[in-house]
Amino acid sequence: MEKNKKEQGLIASIFGTIGDIIGTFIHDILFDDPGRPGVMRFSLPARTFHWTVAILVVLLGVTGLILFVPGWGVAGLACWTRITHRVCAYVFGTVLVLYFVTYRKNSLSYIKESFTWKREYLGWLRAAIDYYTGGDESKMPPQEHINPGQKIWQLTTIICGVILFVTGAILCFAKGAVAPGVFQWSLFTHALAFIIGGCMLIVHAILGTIHPRMSESLRSIITGKVSEEYAKNHYGKWYEEISK
Amino acid sequence: MAKAMLIDVNKCIGCRACQVACKQWHELPAEETTNRGTYENPPDLSADTWTKVIFKEFGENGTLRWLFRKEQCMHCTDPACVNVCPAGALTRHPSLGFIIYNRQRCTGCGYCVEFCPFLIPRMDKESNKLLGSGRMGGKCDFCYDRVSHGLEPACAKACPTGAIKFGERDELVIEGRERVIELQKTHPDANFYGEHELGGLHMMYVLDEHPEIYDLPVNPEMPAAATALNVGEWTGVGLGLLAGAGMLGAAMVARARMIAEEKKNGKE
Repeated sequence: MEKNKKEQGLIASIFGTIGDIIGTFIHDILFDDPGRPGVMRFSLPARTFHWTVAILVVLLGVTGLILFVPGWGVAGLACWTRITHRVCAYVFGTVLVLYFVTYRKNSLSYIKESFTWKREYLGWLRAAIDYYTGGDESKMPPQEHINPGQKIWQLTTIICGVILFVTGAILCFAKGAVAPGVFQWSLFTHALAFIIGGCMLIVHAILGTIHPRMSESLRSIITGKVSEEYAKNHYGKWYEEISK
Repeated sequence: MAKAMLIDVNKCIGCRACQVACKQWHELPAEETTNRGTYENPPDLSADTWTKVIFKEFGENGTLRWLFRKEQCMHCTDPACVNVCPAGALTRHPSLGFIIYNRQRCTGCGYCVEFCPFLIPRMDKESNKLLGSGRMGGKCDFCYDRVSHGLEPACAKACPTGAIKFGERDELVIEGRERVIELQKTHPDANFYGEHELGGLHMMYVLDEHPEIYDLPVNPEMPAAATALNVGEWTGVGLGLLAGAGMLGAAMVARARMIAEEKKNGKE
């Protein structure tokens, strides 16, 4: 397929990319064959949780962004941004607690995975820049269930998530009860965590959907499965472990 | 040119005509209050009370003085509230220098309440604690409607002793300084407040005592968090665009290089 594609215009390729992503969604949700050969990477609850959180984060991000980007605040008329933001935050908090209580093993392993760091990851991080700009694949050291780049992202979600929830709760419930200085710096910290988390989210979304190196990552978070070859190339150590 | 008001607390007799005039002109409802053992009433500024006279009992060396100060929005030249307002509901009039509040644009976030160095703005009563508080009820608007039609603000018009003077800011600064020199003969602590504070206030005071005695902050400053937020806004937008553009670029370069690699391998 890729080979047959002639050089196309930029606009055509943008539409092509968007079409690819939508096509993947429609195909994988409706027509995926559960018996398709491959290895399971994400369980059904994990995938459901991922997409629930994704929708909530986008809603929270957009309503937050309207109050954050100078000049965009006019779109916050009639307080709809503030109400949406708060409702989403409550739903997010509830979903988070429910998931943690129901799937404690999954959640704890996510946290443990994120905080386990080894010296050898430095080698991967050094090789990553060349790899993600189309460099030699064979130079990448074999990886565990997730690679250090994904670990950075998981760590970001945990740390920024905690900061956003704590400062958000202060902004939401403690207005007037805490000293103005506490409120003011909570607002700044909330914005800071939003900037860091938001930038990482952009990187995560682009890598996960359109980056040619991560060709099966979008499918894996929809259907749960990746092909054996993809698992071997991207997560060598993990693949060895599970195929023992 | 920038207009201002000069409030000479030494001439104030605490009659509260300014309070009533403000309520009348802006059609603000009266508040029901209880007797707290003081003439000061209502106890605080509110969504419906944009100006009020603070009553102070001040004793020194066995004497007792009753001090009055009219409190309202100071109309700063460097306004923290305008800096943090995400909705553009608070704006500074470029030539007259007033801080104008547009209720239609307000989203009710309440940042102005928390950031004002003079603790002036007040919110409406909270309609729903879970979904967020009400809007800012309003604050002194310098009678923008009157001033822009050549009238003086309602409070200045009503003041029977001339304690509230309205006019060109430059002229009032000179007048205020002269008045302070005169007052210093009898009140050694007399000082002029508002000339330089926060870039210059448009509500200036001739005080016969130290500002703290009148509950005014000495050297009020723009909160550091407000400046940090303003820097953070543009930095954040820049970083976001950079992250997006960087990753899209990386994806495009990777695609091109991988296709080139495939072609090379195919030919061999």
